[in-house]
Amino acid sequence: MNLDLTDEEQSFREEARTWLREHLPTEPRPPEGQEMREFDLAWQRTLFDGGWAGINWPAEFGGRGLSDIQQMIWYEEFAKADPPFTLANSCTFVGNMHGGPTLIVNGTDEQKAEYLPGILRGEQVWCQGFSEPGAGSDLASLSTKAVIDGDELVVTGQKTWTSYAHVADLQELLVRTDPDAPKHKGITWVVCDMSSPGIDIRPIPTMSHVTDFCEVFYDEVRIPLTNVVGGLNNGWRTAMSTLSFERGTGFMADQVELAATVERLIDEAKRRVGPDGRRRAIEDDELARRLATARAEVNALRAMTIAGISRNARTGMPGPEGSMIRLFHGELHQRVYQLALEIIGPDALRLTPVDGEGVWTGPYLQSFAYTIGGGTTDIQRNIVGERVLGLPRA
Amino acid sequence: MDLLPTPEQDEIVATVRSQLVTDFDLHALAASDGADVVVDAALWQRCAELGWFGLGLAEELGGVGYTLAEETLLFAELGAHVTPGPFLAAVLGARVAAIGGADDVAAGILSGTTTVALGEVESDGDGGTQLRISDHGGADLVLVVGENRVELVDATALDLRHEASIDLLVPLATADTPTVAPVAALDGDAAADVILRGDVLVAAQLAGIAVGTAAQSTEYAQDRQQFGVAIGSFQAVKHRCADMAVRAEVATSQVRLAALALLDGRDDAAFQCEAARVVATDSAITNAQVNVLNHGGIGFTWEHTAHRYVTRAQVLSRTLGDRREHLRRLLEQPAPT
Repeated sequence: MNLDLTDEEQSFREEARTWLREHLPTEPRPPEGQEMREFDLAWQRTLFDGGWAGINWPAEFGGRGLSDIQQMIWYEEFAKADPPFTLANSCTFVGNMHGGPTLIVNGTDEQKAEYLPGILRGEQVWCQGFSEPGAGSDLASLSTKAVIDGDELVVTGQKTWTSYAHVADLQELLVRTDPDAPKHKGITWVVCDMSSPGIDIRPIPTMSHVTDFCEVFYDEVRIPLTNVVGGLNNGWRTAMSTLSFERGTGFMADQVELAATVERLIDEAKRRVGPDGRRRAIEDDELARRLATARAEVNALRAMTIAGISRNARTGMPGPEGSMIRLFHGELHQRVYQLALEIIGPDALRLTPVDGEGVWTGPYLQSFAYTIGGGTTDIQRNIVGERVLGLPRA
Repeated sequence: MDLLPTPEQDEIVATVRSQLVTDFDLHALAASDGADVVVDAALWQRCAELGWFGLGLAEELGGVGYTLAEETLLFAELGAHVTPGPFLAAVLGARVAAIGGADDVAAGILSGTTTVALGEVESDGDGGTQLRISDHGGADLVLVVGENRVELVDATALDLRHEASIDLLVPLATADTPTVAPVAALDGDAAADVILRGDVLVAAQLAGIAVGTAAQSTEYAQDRQQFGVAIGSFQAVKHRCADMAVRAEVATSQVRLAALALLDGRDDAAFQCEAARVVATDSAITNAQVNVLNHGGIGFTWEHTAHRYVTRAQVLSRTLGDRREHLRRLLEQPAPT
C-alpha cells in the first residue's frame, strides 16, 4: 500500500502536462458527420506524433508499453487541461479501447500488423457490432448468421446501437457461425470492412440529440475468413475479453473527467443564485450536502480505479471486479448530472450540446447511456453477484 | 502507487483476524450486553501484548513502529468483526500522551493497564454542553476530543451518568464538561493530526462493517434455500449482494487512499480523510441495514449478529463528528490538485 509515484511516473506526469498545454485543440469538436470524424482522427494523429498513442499498449505493437498508472496519470492531466471535448465520446474509442486490446490478446501476427497501426495513427475508425434487436442483455442469443463459403464468411442479419457506424472503416462484429451448437459456442468475432457491398447503415435518433447512434443491416456481406479473431466459434470468449477491457480500464478517462466535472459544478454553485432566489446555490443545505457527497464519491471512484489497477497488476488481466467500478461509475455519473440540473435552476430548461464549455443539459441527457452501454447495470450486478461473489445463476 | 496490502500487511491482517475470531466471539460477548465494562482486563492485556494499541506509533514513542496503513487494516478488521472495546481511545490516547510528553501515561495505555474512554462534547439539550462518553466503565482516563484540541483527563474527576446505549456493547455515559487540568494535551496542528488519524480509523471500522455485512449476506444467500434453490440465485437478492460488495469496495478503497495521503503528509490529506468518512458512513449504514433484510426473520432476532452491525454503524458514524459535520468540512476543503 503506497501512493508513491516512481521518478519515471512523476516525470511522465510533467511531460504530459507540458505537452497537453501546447497541443490540446482549443476549437470545439464538431458535433457530427465527417467533420467530427476528422476532428477525432486529427487528435489521434497528434497523439501519435507526440508519442502519446497507446500509452499502456505493449511497445511491440506500437504502444508506449507503460503502466496503467501512467495511463491514469495521462487522463488526469488531460482532464486538468480543461479540454473542449470528452475522450469517451470520441469515435476513436472502440479502436483504442476494444478492437485494439482484443487484437493484442487474441489476434494473429498478421492481424496485429494489419490493424493496430491504423488505430494508433488515427487512420481508421472502428465501431462495435454486438447488440441486435433480439439480443441485448442476452447477447449470446445473437442471430446474425455467417455461412462459410470458400475462404469467406457470408453475413446476413442486423446489428443495433452501433455508435459511429456511419463514419467507421472497420467493425468488431459478432456473428453466429454454428446455429446447432449451444448459444455461447457457435459465435465468431470477426473484423468487418464497413465499405463492403451489402452493408446498409441507418441513423437512430437519440434522446440526447447525439447523432452517432446507428443500426446496421447485412445482406450477404462477404468477409475473408482471415478476419476471424480468436478462432471460429470461439467468439464468445473473445468478446468477453473485449468487454473486460471496457469494464476494467476503458472508462478510466470518463471516471477521471467526472472528478473535474464535480469541481466545475461546485464552482457553478458558488456563482449561481440558489433555490431561495437570494443566497448562492452552495449555501442551500441540501445542495451543499449533495455536492459534498458527490465530491466524496468521485474521489472514492478514483481510489477504486487505483485499487483496480493494483489488482490487474497482480493478475495480469482485468477481472470481473471491473464491473464494480463500471456499475458505481455509471450511476454516479447520472447522479452528478441530475444534481447539476438542480443547481443551474432555470438553465435546466435550455438545451446545450453534449461537448463544450459550461454545458449541462446535453451531458445530462447523454448520461442515461451510462447505465445501459457496455452491459446495463442489471447485467453488471449479475456479473458482480455471480463472478465476483460466486452466487448461483438463476 | 498500490492500494492493496503487501504480503507482510496481509500477515498482520490474518493474525488480527484469527485473534478476533477466538477472543471476540459475539455470542460469548452477548453476556456483557448492557454492562459498563464489555472487554475484561485480561483480554485487554492480550490485545496490548499483540501491540494493537501502538501499531502505528513510532518505536521511539514506545510504539510498534508500523504506520497508519497497518493501523487502518487493524481497524477495518475490528469493524468487520463488530469488535467492542475502547480501541480508538487507546490508540489515539497513547499517541496524545506520548507526543504530549506524558511517557508514563503512554506506557500504561500501551501495556493495557491504563484504560481510556472516548469523550466528545455534545449539546445538553438545554443551551449548554456536556461530555458524551463511550466505554466509560472502569476507565482510568477520558480522551476528550474538541475542535483543535485533544486532552486526556482523569476519569475519576468526572461525575458519570450511565445511559442506555443503542449498541449494548458500547457503554454510554454523560458527564459535565471537565474543569480539571488534563494529564496530557495537544493543540493546533498536533491535535488536528490526531483527529484526522481518528477520522481515518473510524472510517476504517465503518468500511469494515460494509465488508463484514457484504460477506455475511453473500454467505447466507449461498446457503439459504427457498423455493428449492439458494436465494442468491434470485436477481433481487443477488443484486442487493452485488450492491453491498460495491459499497464495501468504495469505502475500503477510499479509506486506504486517505490513510496513505495522511501518512505521506499530502496537501489533500484532510480532503481525502473527510471523503473517507462520508463514503464509509454511507456504505456501512446502508449495508448493515440491507443485511438485516437479506436474513429475513432470523436477521431480526437478538441471537443473530446482524443487529450488531446496524447499531455499531450508527455509533461509529457519530464518533468524532457526524455525517453532516464531515460533509461540511469536505466542502470547505480546496479541491485536490
